[in-house]
Amino acid sequence: MNAPVLSAEAVTKSYWLGKREIPILKGVDLAVQRGEMVALLGASGAGKSTLLHVLGLLDAPTTGRVLYDGNQVHDLKVTERARLRHQHVGFVFQFYHLIPELTALQNVLLTRMMQCSVAQYWRQRKATRQEAESILGDVGLSSRLLHRPSELSGGERQRVAIARALLQNPRVVLADEPTGNLDSETADGVMDLLFRINRERQLAFLLVTHNEELAKRCHRVVRLRDGVVVN
Amino acid sequence: MYRLFLATRYLLSRPINLLGMGGVTLGVWALIVVVSIFSGFLRVVGEHVRSASADISVWFLPESARFAPLQKAILEIPNVAATAPRLVHFGLLNRPGEQPSPPPLLGRGALQGGDTPFVFVLGIDPERDRATTALDSWLLAVAPGNRVKDPSHPLARIDGRPAILLGEQRMRNSGLRIGDLLAVSTGRVERGADGGRSLVQVTAESVGGSGRDAPVFVVAGAYHTQHTGYDGNNALVHIDDLRAMLGLAPDAVQEIAVKVQDTASTEVTAERIERAVRRELGYESGSLQRAPLAYSWRERHRGFLEGVEWQRALMKIILIVIMITAAVLMYATLSMMVAEKTSDIGILCALGGSPRGVMTVFLACGLSITVCGIVVGTAAGCVSAIYLEEFRQFVLWLCGIDLFPVKVYNLDRVPHELDPLWILQVAAMAIAVGTVVSALPALRAARHDPLVSLRGN
Repeated sequence: MNAPVLSAEAVTKSYWLGKREIPILKGVDLAVQRGEMVALLGASGAGKSTLLHVLGLLDAPTTGRVLYDGNQVHDLKVTERARLRHQHVGFVFQFYHLIPELTALQNVLLTRMMQCSVAQYWRQRKATRQEAESILGDVGLSSRLLHRPSELSGGERQRVAIARALLQNPRVVLADEPTGNLDSETADGVMDLLFRINRERQLAFLLVTHNEELAKRCHRVVRLRDGVVVN
Repeated sequence: MYRLFLATRYLLSRPINLLGMGGVTLGVWALIVVVSIFSGFLRVVGEHVRSASADISVWFLPESARFAPLQKAILEIPNVAATAPRLVHFGLLNRPGEQPSPPPLLGRGALQGGDTPFVFVLGIDPERDRATTALDSWLLAVAPGNRVKDPSHPLARIDGRPAILLGEQRMRNSGLRIGDLLAVSTGRVERGADGGRSLVQVTAESVGGSGRDAPVFVVAGAYHTQHTGYDGNNALVHIDDLRAMLGLAPDAVQEIAVKVQDTASTEVTAERIERAVRRELGYESGSLQRAPLAYSWRERHRGFLEGVEWQRALMKIILIVIMITAAVLMYATLSMMVAEKTSDIGILCALGGSPRGVMTVFLACGLSITVCGIVVGTAAGCVSAIYLEEFRQFVLWLCGIDLFPVKVYNLDRVPHELDPLWILQVAAMAIAVGTVVSALPALRAARHDPLVSLRGN
């Protein structure tokens, strides 16, 4: 059997408030297989976002291990972690986090620019642009390529963020309440899109949400309570 | 790639960055233009002073000094081309039978000369002096009506009277013409029977005239060096006439002008001359007698030339303050940019950017502003310096306002001298300052915790 694309073994994470240690994650074990859509449910403060950040190598675990395709990655150097994050993981956030100065197309292309030199990017610019336009077309934004985030609706912004996450063909997408800032109709549209991508690309998703109904549509639900996985 | 791309986008989307660039441009422009004017002024003033001076002047010769032995000693020194004897005295000029006009307010006379009746009466030997100074050029550089009739003998007696040459400006201001008579009231020191000294009036008899009145000279013409102060304050007479007025020996000398062959070693030659003259005069170190000195023209006018150089240095310091102000402005705009872009920092890290990459984005912004400011400022500074005179003429024609009254300094146009080394120094200084003020906000951006911006909107 293949190793999980993403797994956590006995991960703990604590923050210090002065001299007081605040434990957030208390020994989390989790594995996400290729093509699996996992919902991470939990109340506010349960540690969902912290776990997502640790799994996405944005934050280091206090103890425990994070593995990508069975390889330990949490203790790599900063630049190695950044490279791996770029190649292995796609992020989608509640507040989109698009760069306001860039158009929808440029926001997506930025992902490809991250690890390319000017010469490398210049050589592949036409293919990259076609790829980005294709992905934006896939998420229904063919006619909005040259619009800036301020000219897009909330749902459209989130679609741009999803397209941005997909351009590098990541192994797993970490989505932190991707519909948390959208009305229900738009949220359904975005979720339908994520499920379709999961199906078509066999891409693993770890979806942080409060929404029980949404979680039920996923392949598996993981509940986090007070920093511990309870199911 | 993303660093360059984002830096460009951030710069182009924020017009406030033009403020920082404008500040750097202004600082670089001011440092180039003002220092180029001062350098040009220093060069021109140096040329003016140089035009009125011998290469080397030997001063403070004792009463017993005689020209012939000193000349022999000096000419033996390598690099010496020619020597000329001089006497330096003083006097009041007035037309015979008239009182000297009252001196003007202090200050102007000292700067320009020509406004006060008091002059230094300089006794020269034209034959020898033209070998050590540009005397022939001085005589030809005046208006034809003021030119001496026989330039080869400019101080030859006219109708039995001694001749005098005046600076052209003084001659014009006094309304004097060639052939006019001019009395020189002065005194001379006489030693009494008891050895004491007293100042007695010099009379006309001393130069072959009659009576107790002051000696009367005939204006033979005018001279014009480029050094207005020299022209206004010195009247040239024949050294033999001055010796006679002062009752000095036929070969007496107070100052010796020296011409050198190689001006590059003027200072060294001056030191050798000083030693030779002291040896010839038997001067002993530590004696009460004032030691003879040999100064190069630059050393002789050191106080004046250094004064201008100090003004230039002071101006540089003042203008560097503009550069520092521009740097503070740039720091403020870049800090604002970093504060506004914390959300972008979070997403850049999530997309695979490293702290170093984030720092480079903001550093590139600051350095781009700096480099653009330097390029524009340098180009504008060079063009402004070169065409400043044309600009002055244009403003004068348009508004009647003279931005740079060049005549005050006896200049024909606003001088400038672009020094490539100084331009490089200014650019290097601007780059250094720009790097420091860009690096501080960039480091802050690199240290920013991406999770802080990713957690909230």
